[in-house]
Amino acid sequence: MSDRSKSPVEFTELAKDTVLRFMDMQGEDGLAVRVKVASPSPLDPRYEISIIEADDKCAEDVVFDGNGFEVVMEPESAKLLDGASIDWVETLNESGFKVENPNLAPIGSKPLEGPMTDRVRQAIDQFVNPGVAQHGGHVTLVDVRDNIVYIQMGGGCQGCGMASVTLSQGIERILRDQVPEIEGIEDVTNHQGGENPYYEASK
Amino acid sequence: MSRILLLFSRASYRAEAFVAAARRMDIEVTVGSNHASILAGLAPGATLTLGVTDVHRSAATIGRFAADYPLAAIVTAEDDFAPVASEASEALGLRYHGSEAVRSARNKALMRQLLSADGMQSPWFHVASVEDHPTTFAAEAAYPCVLKPLALSASRGVIRADTPEEFSLAWTRILDILEQRDASRRSGGARDEILIEEYLPGLEVALEGIVVEGELRTLAILDKPDPMEGPFFEETILVTPSRLPDDVRTEIVSTVQRAVSVLGLLDGPIHAELRVDGEQLSILEIAPRSIGGRCSTILRFEPEATLEDLILRHALGLPIHEYACVPDAAGVMMLPIPRAGVLREVGGTETALRVPGVEGLEIAIPVGQKVMPLPEGNRYLGFLFAGGKTPARVEAALREAHAKLEVIIEPEA
Repeated sequence: MSDRSKSPVEFTELAKDTVLRFMDMQGEDGLAVRVKVASPSPLDPRYEISIIEADDKCAEDVVFDGNGFEVVMEPESAKLLDGASIDWVETLNESGFKVENPNLAPIGSKPLEGPMTDRVRQAIDQFVNPGVAQHGGHVTLVDVRDNIVYIQMGGGCQGCGMASVTLSQGIERILRDQVPEIEGIEDVTNHQGGENPYYEASK
Repeated sequence: MSRILLLFSRASYRAEAFVAAARRMDIEVTVGSNHASILAGLAPGATLTLGVTDVHRSAATIGRFAADYPLAAIVTAEDDFAPVASEASEALGLRYHGSEAVRSARNKALMRQLLSADGMQSPWFHVASVEDHPTTFAAEAAYPCVLKPLALSASRGVIRADTPEEFSLAWTRILDILEQRDASRRSGGARDEILIEEYLPGLEVALEGIVVEGELRTLAILDKPDPMEGPFFEETILVTPSRLPDDVRTEIVSTVQRAVSVLGLLDGPIHAELRVDGEQLSILEIAPRSIGGRCSTILRFEPEATLEDLILRHALGLPIHEYACVPDAAGVMMLPIPRAGVLREVGGTETALRVPGVEGLEIAIPVGQKVMPLPEGNRYLGFLFAGGKTPARVEAALREAHAKLEVIIEPEA
């Protein structure tokens, strides 16, 4: 399918210049830029941006006018990227395209607000944290999105061999009891980074 | 809704996989552990605190709990809780190995006695008390031999001795290990015996299975391609399917089935380890539990299921005969700790993950913690997972990825 309407993704001037520079370097005709959502997970949304040749387009791809080059996307990516912007960033340590996508804002990137969020936070403060504090642990609310609660464990809970039990048999039951509309609880803790776990797994 | 009691020690790697399996089956879960849940009062029925050593008391606690929360099954992930699981299951009429069989399987000396009495190939052995003086045993032992503290698991404290001098050094080293706080706690004070047995040459293999009404259902045979010749017996790579010839694999299955029958193991998972030396097969261990650590991750079944799914299905009386291990090869490397000290960094992880066939890497010890290799240590640095078309490719991928890791351990200040 071909649709030369305006791209749902906006390239900054710097990003446009960079795309055109990469195309010039390849020195071929008919090049386009493919933008793909490689992972839509709110835990770690990832994107792939690549220069492709004309015969790398598929029949189901949608093709947009990127104001100087063609932008090619799979239909699902086009939906998820509607309203996103792409910039080119260069720092001392890295350079690359950076995607700002309001549809897939990483968890914890928006202010925590709303009635359900308040009730979850209250349940954590009132019931969960006084309990886990006995083992030097604490639980932080990271996000509430689509009735899924994202939490992070710290202190003695981070890296603890029994963290999954504390989550499924304690925290989750308490939160579901206090806020019945919760549909799931995700632990986004980096347990490998725990410096002082209450129990060390060893068997 | 059915309720299952899952028993884990507080050092378990297995809780997450079993709880996830129970959720997939939509059954209520109670977790029993020697970890006193700090949220227990706020989530009634979700957890149960149980001791490991006082088996009768813990079984009675489960009995009282079951009066309020009827149980459909009791499943334990580790050896430690197997006696509690068997006694409580017997009292409640639930499906599991009997307590006599569990006692026989867990006690290496008793297991060897029973297998020998039935005419099965078994190394010579002698059980010594830590109160004894090692000189007599050192003089009388045939060499090479292996010393094993009966209270510990996962090759911890297992040392080969080729001479009387090495025997005495190994004995002293084992006594020091048994004095370590966690070893003493894990063994529940029953730290008074050392098994001295013949060193068996040959390849080592593991068999993972579930016993259904006394009949062994073999789920996988796993090769251990690294030589296990001592002086310490650190497990590293496990790969399935086994590359041993068909007739040897058939013999492994029939040997384990015979041992299952001799010991009286009736219903539940078993993990057997054997030595294969030409046509000679000897059982080193047959434990009333499933494979440890994160190793079950590599066992995948068709229709889609994990090892934990099958264990729970069997415990609940659901059929498992239609499940078969997927034909592709898979392997895990239990990453050894190269030296004692403080772990400062594990570099090269991204490079290791890019090795074709490598499917995952988990570093189990946080940076900054003290680490100790075998035979004193009781932890792995982590786990590396790989999959592929053949066992040889999987093994090569694991070795290549391991070589990419840069483990920085500094001496303890």
